[in-house]
Amino acid sequence: MPRVELRYYALLREQAGRQSETVETAAATPAALYAELADRHGFRLPASQLRVAVNAAFSDWESPLRDGDEVVFIPPVAGG
Amino acid sequence: MSAFEFSATPIEPALLAGALASPAAGGFAAFEGRVRDCNEGRAVTSLEYEAFEALGVSEGERIVADALRRHGASHARCVHRTGRLAVGDVAVWVGVSAPHRGEAFAACREIIDAVKHRLPIWKKEHYAEGDSGWVHCEHAGHAPPQAFDYTRQAALPQVGAAGQARLAAAHVVVVGAGGLGCPVLASLAGSGIGRLTIVDHDRVEASNLHRQPLFTLADVGQPKAEVAARRLAAYNPTLRYEPVARRFDEALGAELLAEADAIVDCTDNFAAKFLVNDLAQRTGVPAVIASVYQYEGQLQVVRADRGGSCLRCQWPEAVRDGLVGNCAEAGVLGPVPAVLGQLQAMEVLKLLLDLPGQLADEVLLVDLLVHGQRRLAAPRNPACAGGCVRVDAARPGPAATDVDLMLPLAAAVAAGYRIVDIREPMECAFEPLPVTGQQSLPLARLLEGGLAVEDGRPYLLVCAHGVRSHAAAEYLRARGHVNVWSLAGGLAAQAG
Repeated sequence: MPRVELRYYALLREQAGRQSETVETAAATPAALYAELADRHGFRLPASQLRVAVNAAFSDWESPLRDGDEVVFIPPVAGG
Repeated sequence: MSAFEFSATPIEPALLAGALASPAAGGFAAFEGRVRDCNEGRAVTSLEYEAFEALGVSEGERIVADALRRHGASHARCVHRTGRLAVGDVAVWVGVSAPHRGEAFAACREIIDAVKHRLPIWKKEHYAEGDSGWVHCEHAGHAPPQAFDYTRQAALPQVGAAGQARLAAAHVVVVGAGGLGCPVLASLAGSGIGRLTIVDHDRVEASNLHRQPLFTLADVGQPKAEVAARRLAAYNPTLRYEPVARRFDEALGAELLAEADAIVDCTDNFAAKFLVNDLAQRTGVPAVIASVYQYEGQLQVVRADRGGSCLRCQWPEAVRDGLVGNCAEAGVLGPVPAVLGQLQAMEVLKLLLDLPGQLADEVLLVDLLVHGQRRLAAPRNPACAGGCVRVDAARPGPAATDVDLMLPLAAAVAAGYRIVDIREPMECAFEPLPVTGQQSLPLARLLEGGLAVEDGRPYLLVCAHGVRSHAAAEYLRARGHVNVWSLAGGLAAQAG
């Protein structure tokens, strides 16, 4: 199964209880991966409220994931 | 002939004295300061003087004019050397002619003392041992500084006098004088941005102080924009500050951006951030937008003038306030907005000075716990067509407010609304609802799908101020539940 590197920010970091992790996943897309992780970590924000970046570029939720990808889920933040 | 000047060539006292002769002057006094061969026990072989000449001349002329007036002297002149001098050379010369000796001596003494104290002149001593050192400038520590000195920044080859002039001619609008705004304003004032507009409708609160060092405890209750402008004017009085203690809205933004070179978003809510973004899109004024959350921040530069991407390219579904915490709800450590604010100031300077490395079609993520920085490519979203100006349709406008109901809670219960209290358990315990029979379901659980909505019955969501309930109601509406409402203004707006 492909391994991907994950980074978490803001709410997701709090809910995951970690800043990063490496996971082996059968998920073919960021959308599927997020659903899997949301289940595991109890992420409460729906994917529609997030953006995803793959290998340092904002990406489509349905783009294919590859072995070794770095995936960052980005929640919106507004504090100032 | 100026009453005060600098000279890079040797001073000739006889010539200078001759020019001050006058039939009405019965007295003439002169002072010559010469280079000594020792200072504080060390043998000195030569000296170098360096002066901030533009300021030195105007201040020197003022010193001479004041002394003449105060002592009733007729004419005076002072010349100060710059450059390299040998032992015995005349470093400074003062001459005064007056009707009598008393006025001449007094004015001469006053001029030389003031010149030593007040003028921006620095002295480098070269010692017999071969080394050298800049020695204590007499003017430092006595009088207040006379000019804001940008030399350390203008020394950068990419800045220089031309860059400094560009900054002096620039007008930057800063929206929000909070955790981000304070460092942005301080750095921009320090760098010499000629005109700074400070927009904030809030007043200083004690809970702001830990991350907003432009304010003091004594300022609590005062309008932030005005206090900030006062503090900045004390810090760098040579700039123009325009405090605007009004809520930033579309009309105000359009007016301010009409003559701005950049806008910096330092607000703490999505509605304002999207408004800044949209105004920047419409006017082409570059916008530097940042947000913080606990230990992290995000930074983005919107350049409609270069056809760049915008906030809505990344967040096509305009984010609603209330879904994620702000500083008040989630907490924040002071250095986090301080760092992000300085990064904003850095981007403003980069774009005004045309420095390399500007953020373009990118989002910078900063995590201060692990010191991680990521520059994520964030290109134009093709769906964000027409230079991203299709935003009007998506902007939360008046239509969005029709989820809000303004009515007494008891009346809502009587009318058959199911009341859902979406506050946290601690908030509910602290301030219970004035009605009974409500369902308690914190916002996070509601977003997880924790509310089984029975369609056909009206629901009224309640929180402290109506922000979270508004977001939650819109969230449920978007999922097909048409009969979900938000209590306008929250519990705070209920009378009694």
